[in-house]
Amino acid sequence: MATKPFSGPVEDSVAKVNDEVAVGEDLDFQRKWWRFENAAWIIFTLIIVLDLAGLFGRGPIAKAERHSADGAFDVKYERIERTDSPSILTVQFAQAAIQNGKIHLYVSNSLVKQLGTQRVIPAPQDTVVGEGGLTYTFLASRPPASVDLALQPSGPGIYDFTIGVVGSQPVEARVVVVP
Amino acid sequence: MSTILHAIFGYLFLLLIVRVLSRRPGGQLTLFEFVIVFLIGGVVILSTVGKDRSVTNCATAILTVGLMHWLVSSIKGKYPRLGAIVDGTPLTLLKNGEWQLEVMRGMRIDREDVMAAARTKGVTSIYDVAYAILERNGAISIIKNEK
Repeated sequence: MATKPFSGPVEDSVAKVNDEVAVGEDLDFQRKWWRFENAAWIIFTLIIVLDLAGLFGRGPIAKAERHSADGAFDVKYERIERTDSPSILTVQFAQAAIQNGKIHLYVSNSLVKQLGTQRVIPAPQDTVVGEGGLTYTFLASRPPASVDLALQPSGPGIYDFTIGVVGSQPVEARVVVVP
Repeated sequence: MSTILHAIFGYLFLLLIVRVLSRRPGGQLTLFEFVIVFLIGGVVILSTVGKDRSVTNCATAILTVGLMHWLVSSIKGKYPRLGAIVDGTPLTLLKNGEWQLEVMRGMRIDREDVMAAARTKGVTSIYDVAYAILERNGAISIIKNEK
């Protein structure tokens, strides 16, 4: 035997306009919604302005620069990165960083793993693993000399990294990776 | 995992943006609004599937969006207030021979939009319109004057 379908009485529950047309208008709710909409547009505008400024990466606020205490090298990087988006960290060397025609650049593991170093430009002559990171060796003549690290973080988070030249004070910095 | 989270976020974010933008889906979509819908949809897809363009990942994203839609529809049926938040409520644009200017301004609807809806009902003069109602789906219902 077939089951009887659910049913119920018809009720005139929809609010009427002029006691004539059942519309179900709720103007009080709509006024609240318009206030919410206005607030939402202000927030959206604020987000775009902050984005242009670089609060979510790729802007003036995101760019950062650190100098080693003895002036051997400078690091230019982005303190705010975006997940899966490429960026460049540049290390500029002074004469003090060049020893016997070589530069030994140490980078911590966090720079390689969490911040996703994809390439080192130019390719190092040699790479040594140890001390919680990698030490790259580059042949160098005289300044200006620089090395670029192409980064591409794989996930959001807050990551600290250390970068330094052997025989010089290392630089520590923090990068926020947004989703 | 990240695809599912991205799809949930994308669904809710798109729902918010489309709801805040305007109420003119379906038959009322203008070319201008088509551009918005396709552009937003395309951008959301990029962040949802990311680099993983496998069938598994895309199917997961589609299933998540489908599930979210089913979930929101179910909750909407149970809680009318959520229905009002997601879909809005019908609003009267014209009644008793008077434009409801607060509503028209708030919904960014012109008199021409009402007249266009009236013409589809065979009404040639605005004086023949007793009520114009903006429905939840964005369509404008016209009720003629009984002479």
